[in-house]
Amino acid sequence: MPHDVIMPALGMAQQTGKIVSWLKQAGDPVALGEPLMEVETDKATMEVEAQAAGYLGSVSAAAGEDVPVGAVVARIADTAEEAEAGGSPSGKASGEPSGDQSSEPQADAPKAAATKLPEGATVIMPALGMTQDTGRLVAWAKQPGEAVAVGDTLFEVETDKSTMEVEADKAGWLAAVLAAAGDDVPVGETVAIISKDEPDTPVVESYSPGKAAAAPAKDSGDKAASDAAPAPAKAPAKASAKAPAKAGAKAAGGRILASPKARRLALQEGLDLSRLVEAGYAQPYHVKDLETLRALPALGAPQAGTSASARLTARVAGEGLQNFCAWVADEGGSAPDEGAVVAGFAAASLSDTNPSPIIAIDRWGARTLYCAGDELGVAIGEVQPDDGDDQDPQPALLVRDLRDSRLTSVQLGAEEQPVITLTREGADLAITLEYAPGQLSQAGAIALLEGLSGRLDMPLRHLL
Amino acid sequence: MREITLSKAVNEAIAEEMRRDETVFLLGEDVAEAGTPFKVLAGLVEEFGTDRIMDTPISEPGFTGIAVGAALTGMRPVVDLMFGDFLFLVMDQLCNQAAKACYMSGGKLTVPMVLRTNLGATRRSAAQHSQSLHALVAHIPGLKVAMPSSAYEAKGLMKTAIRDNNPVVIFEDKLMYNDKAEVPEEEFLIPFGVANVRRQGKDITLIGTSSMVQIADEAAKILAAEGIECEVIDPRTIVPLDEATLVESVKKTSRAIVIDEGHQSYGITGEIASRLNEKAFYHLDAPVLRMGAMDVPVPFSPALEDLTVPTVDQVVEAARKLCAGDMIHAA
Repeated sequence: MPHDVIMPALGMAQQTGKIVSWLKQAGDPVALGEPLMEVETDKATMEVEAQAAGYLGSVSAAAGEDVPVGAVVARIADTAEEAEAGGSPSGKASGEPSGDQSSEPQADAPKAAATKLPEGATVIMPALGMTQDTGRLVAWAKQPGEAVAVGDTLFEVETDKSTMEVEADKAGWLAAVLAAAGDDVPVGETVAIISKDEPDTPVVESYSPGKAAAAPAKDSGDKAASDAAPAPAKAPAKASAKAPAKAGAKAAGGRILASPKARRLALQEGLDLSRLVEAGYAQPYHVKDLETLRALPALGAPQAGTSASARLTARVAGEGLQNFCAWVADEGGSAPDEGAVVAGFAAASLSDTNPSPIIAIDRWGARTLYCAGDELGVAIGEVQPDDGDDQDPQPALLVRDLRDSRLTSVQLGAEEQPVITLTREGADLAITLEYAPGQLSQAGAIALLEGLSGRLDMPLRHLL
Repeated sequence: MREITLSKAVNEAIAEEMRRDETVFLLGEDVAEAGTPFKVLAGLVEEFGTDRIMDTPISEPGFTGIAVGAALTGMRPVVDLMFGDFLFLVMDQLCNQAAKACYMSGGKLTVPMVLRTNLGATRRSAAQHSQSLHALVAHIPGLKVAMPSSAYEAKGLMKTAIRDNNPVVIFEDKLMYNDKAEVPEEEFLIPFGVANVRRQGKDITLIGTSSMVQIADEAAKILAAEGIECEVIDPRTIVPLDEATLVESVKKTSRAIVIDEGHQSYGITGEIASRLNEKAFYHLDAPVLRMGAMDVPVPFSPALEDLTVPTVDQVVEAARKLCAGDMIHAA
């Protein structure tokens, strides 16, 4: 039976590998374990060995090409004649997943070809060791159809060396589960598909070979048919091409150059270095620049365009939230993410108007986005902004956590969304809501602040 | 207080320890009648005789090996290595044997040996007699490394070294033998691992070793006239290193330049800068700068040789930039 040669996953986060050179030519006899090609990843250059003996059929990826992990790059045929006649595996695999070479496994699992797999990013069995061929899927940590956030554990894998959890590197919904607990799945094979939209009926199957090629073929649509690259290339290639551009844009916009000491002092004094950037002062910032920053107009001064903002404040006892977190830590064994708790309360307070709003928490100058997972709002997931399709999700509400700063009161106006600012006033917690007309109704704003301050005052009541 | 040369200070230290402890003896090339090419040991052979001030054949591995053996059997040898560059010849005796005997014997054996040698360029001695190789031995666990910056340190550190039960390598700067400093008549020792804060300041810390301490002192004077207050610190021993004093100083000043005459790459400056970075990162207002010797064999041409070592002007220039908040090594 012919054997497909795929681009292996040599690192956990690897999406593509560059073929540095082919060590065998098409038609060459190949022994099991013989080096076939040299692959370069972002970390290292390695030789990839043949997983089967036979004759190397024509290769579909040339030296120098970046090939997505899991894509077929060549085929090893049983005889020299087959290798010659077999042609490029991509031609067969991409357009017609049920081509003759894969007819054997397909026959065992006829459903595989028949089931329409959902579109989305494929999740492959990662290579967790250098010599690993397969991984046993021990258990799924997510149910089919369940929402998945980046970093969520998807499944547990057992190799000959250890058992590890595999995390999602995409957010979305677990739309297809293509291997069942207990299945031995070759490295690089697709075990799941994470879709961008919630699936109506998630696909659940146990592993059968050949499906890996079939799954993403649908994703790439008819475009792939005329494409020289193998079909599985499509989904990962799209994702990886996008990632660097996003990271670059972020680096240009977000990073402020400042000395470690200037940064630390700014943090301790609650000074915002980005105000120096806005005011046009040249970077990098040093301690002496903080004097300039301190001399900038006070934060509370009304700014253009925000003067029309409405502002509401509430005050509750400060220890409610701490006690609640301590209680959760006692009950649950680990301290909860305070940001997630606050986001959960905020989401629940907003829920009249928006069933699962995205809440942004600004803390220590860093922004984290949260998305409510259930109506309690405590089991709330972090949203990874990098995963967005076209742009980062727009939060419905921004919570600015200034409890660790010396600021006691703010009047900054709304931003693109209503802003809630948490500050400390002695032992009390002050909650300030600012919003622009049109963002909230008066009644809605009062209900939001009333709901949130109630939850922060007596968090346990929120659970009831 | 009286002033004596660094040469005289070393001579006194060895003589005092030899009078105090009869197991102390000295061996090396041209140490007896000649009193070394730098005349450091002049007069010792007259007092102690050729049994305790031993001229050896020209074989550094040979006499260093003899010293290791003597130390293992209860003596306290002082090995005189004429030039620091010859360290390459005694690597096995020093680094594989002397440095490891105590560890590998579970503490049953000790090697109370001192290897005194020198460092420093700009003596027009060319590439094989001008190197500063202290980083080489400081890298080896089991060896202590002292770097006196004046006659006072040279005497106090030498006496401590001879009394230490572990191998100690002392590097004297070969250009400083005639430099005078105040040295008390009465006996004193300088403990290892205790840095000397020579000058207090709040703006920048200048850390110098051996003769680079003088460079730091001079730079500090010039900078003081401009209103930049330097703190000058001499670690005195680089193994053990008084890290706490250096870190505390940098926490105060937020800036530092580390000056050393070894080649800059993979050297003492990098090690100290790295420790400051690890321990004082959130107090740094500027990158910690290294200033070592240029990464080239030391040239014989005087004009070129002078360009390879850190100078007062360079330190002053760098300190000005750091204190002004100029971007150093702009990305």
